[in-house]
Amino acid sequence: MAYKPQFCAGTTKVAENRRNFMNPAYKLQKIRDISDEDVVLIMGHRAPGSAYPTTHPPLSEAGEPKCPVRKLVTPLDGAKTGDRVRYIQFTDSYWFAPMHPYLRSYMASIRYRGVDPGTLSGRQIVECRERDLEKIAKELISTECFDPARSGIRGCTVHGHSLRLDEDGMMFDMLARRILDKDKTVKYVKDQVGVPLDKPVNVGKPMDEKWLKAHTTIYNSNGGTGFREDKEAIEFIQTIHSLRTKYGFMPKE
Amino acid sequence: MAKIERAQKLFLKTLKTRFANWGEDVQSGKTVYKRIGLSQSPRKMEWVKQGNAVALARGISGYDPVRCHCGGIPLGQRQLMTYEVSGTGVFVEGDDLHFVNNAAMQQMWDDIRRTVVVGMDLAHQTLQKRLGKEVTPETINEFLHVLNHAMPGAAVVQEHMVETSPALTDDCYVKVYTGDDEMADSIEPQFLIDINKAFPAKQAEQIKGSIGKSMWQAVHIPTIVSRTCDGGTASRWSAMQLGMSYIGAYRMCAGEAATADLAFAAKHAGLIEMANLLPARRARGPNEPGGLKFGLFADIIQADRKYPNDPVRSSLEVVAAGCMLYDQIWLGSYMSGGVGFTQYATAAYTDNVLDDFSYYGADYVKDKYKGFTKAPQKQEVVNDIATETTLYGMEQYETFPSLLEDHFGGSQRATVLAAASGIACALGTANSNAGLSGWYLSMLLHKEGWSRLGFYGYDLQDQCGSANTFAIRSDEGLVNELRGANYPNYAMNVGHQGGYAGIAGAAHFARQDGWSFDPRIKVCFADPGLPFDFTEPRRMFAKGAIREFMPAGERSLIIPARK
Repeated sequence: MAYKPQFCAGTTKVAENRRNFMNPAYKLQKIRDISDEDVVLIMGHRAPGSAYPTTHPPLSEAGEPKCPVRKLVTPLDGAKTGDRVRYIQFTDSYWFAPMHPYLRSYMASIRYRGVDPGTLSGRQIVECRERDLEKIAKELISTECFDPARSGIRGCTVHGHSLRLDEDGMMFDMLARRILDKDKTVKYVKDQVGVPLDKPVNVGKPMDEKWLKAHTTIYNSNGGTGFREDKEAIEFIQTIHSLRTKYGFMPKE
Repeated sequence: MAKIERAQKLFLKTLKTRFANWGEDVQSGKTVYKRIGLSQSPRKMEWVKQGNAVALARGISGYDPVRCHCGGIPLGQRQLMTYEVSGTGVFVEGDDLHFVNNAAMQQMWDDIRRTVVVGMDLAHQTLQKRLGKEVTPETINEFLHVLNHAMPGAAVVQEHMVETSPALTDDCYVKVYTGDDEMADSIEPQFLIDINKAFPAKQAEQIKGSIGKSMWQAVHIPTIVSRTCDGGTASRWSAMQLGMSYIGAYRMCAGEAATADLAFAAKHAGLIEMANLLPARRARGPNEPGGLKFGLFADIIQADRKYPNDPVRSSLEVVAAGCMLYDQIWLGSYMSGGVGFTQYATAAYTDNVLDDFSYYGADYVKDKYKGFTKAPQKQEVVNDIATETTLYGMEQYETFPSLLEDHFGGSQRATVLAAASGIACALGTANSNAGLSGWYLSMLLHKEGWSRLGFYGYDLQDQCGSANTFAIRSDEGLVNELRGANYPNYAMNVGHQGGYAGIAGAAHFARQDGWSFDPRIKVCFADPGLPFDFTEPRRMFAKGAIREFMPAGERSLIIPARK
């Protein structure tokens, strides 16, 4: 029987959403338009339209050694040209943000090639060759992976994921990188490390509470799906823990 | 849901007090971020003044948070709040729980680092069998007089010697203890740690039975010495003064070969240090925190002596002291050099959060398994207790957004949830490795439930902890009491080691054991003469934070008065 990935256990909507994000066969729903230039502005690694800085010559000129692995693995576009490795980092609010750190890393590892995800409690970073990163970032910002109010693009001073929301429903951001404007859209006025932008970048309207709770991937008993409700997910984790423990005690079947 | 007797959302009163200043509902999910800045904090404002004065006096700029933080955005964009040191009712500035700002924290570590335990029996055998000296209670008392003269740094047999100031070294002394009541009765009270007085009767009998007729010296060298030198100095300083005191008290030749036997006994054969030396890659001598075993640390903390019927409280005191020493001092400064570890560590001993979660887990155990130590030592039981405790804690964070904001970092929450789970499992099963197993299950549940855990290091040790909890291979598994800060995987990750120590203690506190790892360590720190009160670490930390704790080793006598 062919292997069919299950991605994660659980019978609730939260578990289903997690599976969707991890499943590369699932097409991420596009929610908003964001231009290539705006992605570059928010990330702040280079000026829009400028050439990609490089850290090594193009591979075609590098005289690579004969290596079977290099024959097997097709380089990313950015690797071919010698792009720098740069990053995008997200902060996701406990209060029903669509994505959360481990899921972001699982998803990045499954869906994208050549990425280096890093996972913490209050932030999640994806590093990649610059031109490839920009494509990934665009997808992460323009689809259901992102909510302008509850997700944040923050290279540093990420404080906010676990804080109460501001009165306008926005996740706290010490550096006030983005504002909820009078037209009810969220605009980035600083890049991800807090450098002021020459012009604001509009990332669209925050999703409403109903949408957020339907699409979130965090268990939260306060208004959402409590972890306790997903017995299958909990039993699965207990099983994993028990099996690891028993194998550690006596490493045989 | 389990019947809850004592867990009554102990954190709630604290939250209400803290958030009351802002007129806020602790269950509200929203607030107004006023971005007031530093002026919210009296301590920060005090430091701004200090920083300005320092800069003026030395001509070099220093503390300048308005200019230097986030390119001109100072701390305090959110509400800056005080913390209650758990179980004390004392609210303190977070800054004052950094060990640099807290004399009690410094003294706790000083009192451990400057301590060694040295057996007397080997020395007495040398004196009696090799040198033909008579050893009696009278000679022992006389020896202790000489030793308490010499240990701070005074001469006993030499001429024209420099000595140390008694006032600068007034925290230095030696007491003895034995399991032999008759012998103990013949020791002058000033020199004796009286096991019968210090411990509840059951614990005293256990301890005396284990120590037997042997006699041990609790040696505390001067704080000022261990600070100027290092932990490894404790045994050297102690051994040198011991040797000289034997020579002086027993009228020995200063230099005959038999003195080498006394020195060897004091430096090696009869020596118990608080911590092992570390391998070259971490490069610390003995009596430094990295080599301090969790079980031994659980013995250093003495709350179980004072509160034998409240094993949760005893465990919480160990966690608090452990987080301070292992996280704030060892990992935070010795190993990392950072300042932020305090923020992680204090979550385990502020605002009564761990207290609430732990009492909940304890009550669940008492209700479902009919009491501490009564739960079967089975994986299914660990899974049950740890899951219930973890889910309860997660639900509190969700129900009270202000609580989530209080523990704003994942490492804080992970420590608290896992420590409560581990303590509950250890209390229920009376097995500290079962407690460890509960800790690791809690970590897995937390990670999957919220799709986040702590910082990267939590991936390192908490994802493989299940597999090494009961591993039988000696390089992978170990009884928790024998694990320590330098155990593989544990060596560089904040937010764990205090919890592990608390779990090691919990298994024994539940049984009302006399000790967790070594009865000689337990008795050594059951000494009311120490500057730091090891029965109440949290209360001591609170006293330090509000500047009411008087430490030892101060240099006021030998420096000019401040202007």
